[in-house]
Amino acid sequence: MSSPISPEAIYHLAQLARIELTSEEKNRLLADLQKILGHFEELQKLDLSGVEPLTGGTLQKNVFREDGERTCTNSGKGRESFPSKHNGYLKVPPVFPTEGGSASGGEE
Amino acid sequence: MNLTALTIKDLGEGLRGRQFSAKEITEAYLKNIEARDKDIGAYLEVRADAAVREAEEVDKLIAADEELSELAGLPLAIKDNILIAGEKTTAASKILANYIASYDAGVIQKLRSAHAVLLGKTNLDEFAMGASTENSGFKITRNPHDLERVPGGSSGGSAAAVAADMALAALGSDTFGSIRQPSSFCGTVGLKPTYGAVSRSGLIAMASSMDQIGPITKTVEDAAILFKAIAGRDSLDATSTEADYENLLVTDTGTLKKMKIGVPKEYFIEGVDSAVKTAVESVVKFFEGAGLTIRPISLPHTKYAVPSYYLSMPAEVSANLARFDGIRYSRIRAAEQRRNDARNNAEEGSQRLSASSPRQSALWDIYLKQRGRGFGPEVKRRIILGTFVLSSGYYDAYYKKAQQARRLISDDFASAFGEVDVIITPVAPTPAFKIGEKADDPLAMYLEDIFTGPVNLAGLPAISVPVRMRINVDNQRRSASLPIGFQLIGKHFREADILSLGNYYELNADGRG
Repeated sequence: MSSPISPEAIYHLAQLARIELTSEEKNRLLADLQKILGHFEELQKLDLSGVEPLTGGTLQKNVFREDGERTCTNSGKGRESFPSKHNGYLKVPPVFPTEGGSASGGEE
Repeated sequence: MNLTALTIKDLGEGLRGRQFSAKEITEAYLKNIEARDKDIGAYLEVRADAAVREAEEVDKLIAADEELSELAGLPLAIKDNILIAGEKTTAASKILANYIASYDAGVIQKLRSAHAVLLGKTNLDEFAMGASTENSGFKITRNPHDLERVPGGSSGGSAAAVAADMALAALGSDTFGSIRQPSSFCGTVGLKPTYGAVSRSGLIAMASSMDQIGPITKTVEDAAILFKAIAGRDSLDATSTEADYENLLVTDTGTLKKMKIGVPKEYFIEGVDSAVKTAVESVVKFFEGAGLTIRPISLPHTKYAVPSYYLSMPAEVSANLARFDGIRYSRIRAAEQRRNDARNNAEEGSQRLSASSPRQSALWDIYLKQRGRGFGPEVKRRIILGTFVLSSGYYDAYYKKAQQARRLISDDFASAFGEVDVIITPVAPTPAFKIGEKADDPLAMYLEDIFTGPVNLAGLPAISVPVRMRINVDNQRRSASLPIGFQLIGKHFREADILSLGNYYELNADGRG
């Protein structure tokens, strides 16, 4: 079975995962993933017909909690720990391209 | 003060008997950290002032003759993927370099109400992904028994801290062996609880269907005490549950001798270091000599555990780590980014997106750059692999098959536990390896976990206990005597079985094998 991982696939997957890669990283990943998937081909030989996938870590049954009011003790704490603030507002990097077309890449 | 011999039980007795104060103990550990951690590198952050304040609180309770919990004044190290409110929590990743936790993890809440002392946050492989603590975004940790070797991972900082008396005990997390393998390498006891036994609230998630927090200690009894303190239902982790952990250490030999131990043939295979084999066999002989029934068993799908894990865990990783967008938790500063930008721009010329593409938004670019700079190589490898196995056309061939294999592995254990109470195996195929030895070969690193991982796939509890027998593991260096652990695997929520047998071994094995 030829490897499903190509340089184009690496680029596409990295875009889906929102990760910028250098060409050095792309080459390395290509080689690593081909090797890893090649090693795991063993799994393809296993007869799994009729086997129910095990998706979770627990055999416990799901139950619903009582629907009711709950007190939150750390309201606002997430805001406090936000990386950048200004006059009580959360400060985020500019998300529209600036004059000249270049995006900021998170610059503040 | 002899910290090496001190156990959690001794600490409690000493504090109650006014032999020493909690502050003295905490300061002794802090002094040790200062003296030894420059060489070992177990800690990412030491909370010296806060720890002393917490110890002083305990001394006040003692002075007022208040009832003390078993953990009061216990100087603990916490793996840095567990949230402590107000403290930097990085999971050893640059993408979280400046993140300050806004709440306490469920386990930390329990430790705080028991008045434990939190010494600091320990190093790990970035987001707990690795088996050597070499993948940390900040620094490597060295094995206290041999500074040229790794402490194991991913809870390498926690295990090294306990092994070097820089904490009396520690918390780690274990997704495929990350508590047990470093415990084997560092000579500590490490317990991976049943999935659901301990709350995962406030644990930075890696693979949610397998992650568990557990104790790393010097003795099995200490592991039982610390485990009991952190176990239980937490409304913030829907998979957590209340089990009966009233009596975790059975010492009645009559009861222990009735237990049956299974020895799976698939765990004593070619590729297992002869020192490890000899060590674990000495433990099997010990239990046989003590009158327990030893039975050969088979777990036929063992060899599919690593493929099953590495084709399903990355899927969970790619989803769990999607939240790190470089905006909400911590940001990589522009100055740091520019260093790489010139180089990247030159390389990416051929892949520039067309001007009409929606991908050419500034926001898209922020994500790409922040995540590209913020994540280390192993994290990127797993996210990309996870994105691949979940992608259309490959889901059935990889992800679904991995989950089906997981079922077979879990079923293997279920049928084995019809015959035996506990299963004994090696923890890792080798003792601690040299720093750099496997760093360039991800697959070799993945195979470190062949004996610990199946346990996580099945959600079972397991413990690593140091083998008493000293074995020379390095012929080039006559003096080399590295710790080796053996693993006991128990039935779901039967931590009592593995703790009791581990404790029995620890108290009665004499080291001659």
